[in-house]
Amino acid sequence: MILKNSNNIRVFFCLAFILLTLSSFRVPNKIQILKKVKKEISKTFSIDSFLLEPIKIENDSDLTVDFSKNRFLKIISNDFLIGYAYIGNAPSKTETFEYLVLFNNDFIIKKSKVLIYREDWGSEIGSNRWLKQFIDKSLNDKFIYRENISAISGATISVKSMTNALNQLLSSLNILIKKKIL
Amino acid sequence: MKKLLLLFILSIPSSAFGQINSSEKQILSLQSIASGLSIGGYGEMTYNDPDSGASELDVQRLVMLFAYKFDDRVSFITEIEFEHVKEVYVEQAFLNYGISDNFNLRGGLMLVPMGIINEYHEPTTYNGVERPSLNNKLVPTTWREMGIGFTGRINSMSLKYQAYIMNGFVSYNGDYKLKGTNGLRSGRQKGAKSVGSNANFSTKIDYYGLPGLKLGLSFYKGKTQTTDKSIVGSQVGVSMLGLDARYIKNKFSARAEYIDASLNDTDLYNKLSGKDLGSKMAGYYIEGAYNLLPTISRQKLDVFVRYEDFDTHSNVSGSLVKNPLFHRKETTFGLSYHLSDGAVFKVDWQSKGTAVLDSESKGQFNMGIGVFF
Repeated sequence: MILKNSNNIRVFFCLAFILLTLSSFRVPNKIQILKKVKKEISKTFSIDSFLLEPIKIENDSDLTVDFSKNRFLKIISNDFLIGYAYIGNAPSKTETFEYLVLFNNDFIIKKSKVLIYREDWGSEIGSNRWLKQFIDKSLNDKFIYRENISAISGATISVKSMTNALNQLLSSLNILIKKKIL
Repeated sequence: MKKLLLLFILSIPSSAFGQINSSEKQILSLQSIASGLSIGGYGEMTYNDPDSGASELDVQRLVMLFAYKFDDRVSFITEIEFEHVKEVYVEQAFLNYGISDNFNLRGGLMLVPMGIINEYHEPTTYNGVERPSLNNKLVPTTWREMGIGFTGRINSMSLKYQAYIMNGFVSYNGDYKLKGTNGLRSGRQKGAKSVGSNANFSTKIDYYGLPGLKLGLSFYKGKTQTTDKSIVGSQVGVSMLGLDARYIKNKFSARAEYIDASLNDTDLYNKLSGKDLGSKMAGYYIEGAYNLLPTISRQKLDVFVRYEDFDTHSNVSGSLVKNPLFHRKETTFGLSYHLSDGAVFKVDWQSKGTAVLDSESKGQFNMGIGVFF
């Protein structure tokens, strides 16, 4: 589609403006993050109905991840504990992003997903293929950038950040289990 | 249009999403965004010492990035560049409107997505004190134009896409701008009172679905700009294709870029202007690097070698004779010592040769400090 002259440039800009205006009819999704969390749980565990029960964790200086604001939840379906969900926050280049990790009831990772990414730099980490590397890993595993976690050119900071966040989450959960809090 | 509008309204869900209980409400608070101003930047201070001639110490670039988020969907991003201390440019200045998670509208002064370096040109992202020469003569880095378009990612397919309608190079504004030695570079307008006679189309797709590998396919098509369309031959057609690959595995990394640019109507343009613009410019570079430090180290010490072979007279039309000086063959090898993710010290040696028979290559020693934050 090559426009031949400046009159066509005018037409193009007018069309772009109309499209832009139309997009304002879109309903803002204020519950986007919750919707995504529930969708991933449904897909990962193949369940339609379930309850999310927050796990309260007292402040503990040994823990390297944040467990406040109901970030850590039990997934309960038909009165059975199916697994756990953790919604984390980690830095990207100039922003932070939210990610989800789903565990089964043996604390094996069944899913990792980037829920909200707020800048262009490093957003490649949202790739399903890249996030697959964390699946089926247990609390005894350790992720090492460029060894068992592959790099993505142009997304080094976010790749390292997500790798680090997952390591911290696993070590914090290990501590909670050792302290018999979980 | 009415039908389109109706379809659009029908597609809006009637109820957004069931009931929310009190424990779920706290989760919602996690999506609140940090709006406001972000500041970043990059810079490079270089020392070039050619075998013959005087050496040069230069604050080559200092670029300040300002990004302002108006809300979770609308942001403005600009980069103000100081080149050689005293030349001021605007490198980027665009408004980004995120229609959805994976679709953004963009307008303003934007980088043309062609190859690797034009978009990823911060000194910590590439090896060598100087950017690859191909990205100076063939892709005129930093190539940016005024335009409008869209970009986004498809996570399920590990794809990034970009497509823009942009302004193009100026070939005539009273003077004929384009020439054989550097092709389109002298026609860059950089968004400064730029002449806009013809729209150009630019697109790129990046695929990163294989571990450690990123592949890029870029395409640019259009016509150069002129202040006087009545001068037949004051414009040339431009078709540029770019293929690139970047690979990282453990301590090894490699990248390659191939560019093929075809220019139409250069015969007439050269006759009118007395210039020597080629009708085809093509070439590639290939680079390999190995990190000498353990992967668990916070620092990285890459030893690298890069070979470039490109020709701005890959083909010529009419009576113009190919100039073998424009067929460059360059080798660069050196070290990139990444003190941290955003700070690098570089040292390298370059051998710059041409296709001229029995010609001697020129050597150059370079050192540089680069930062990106």
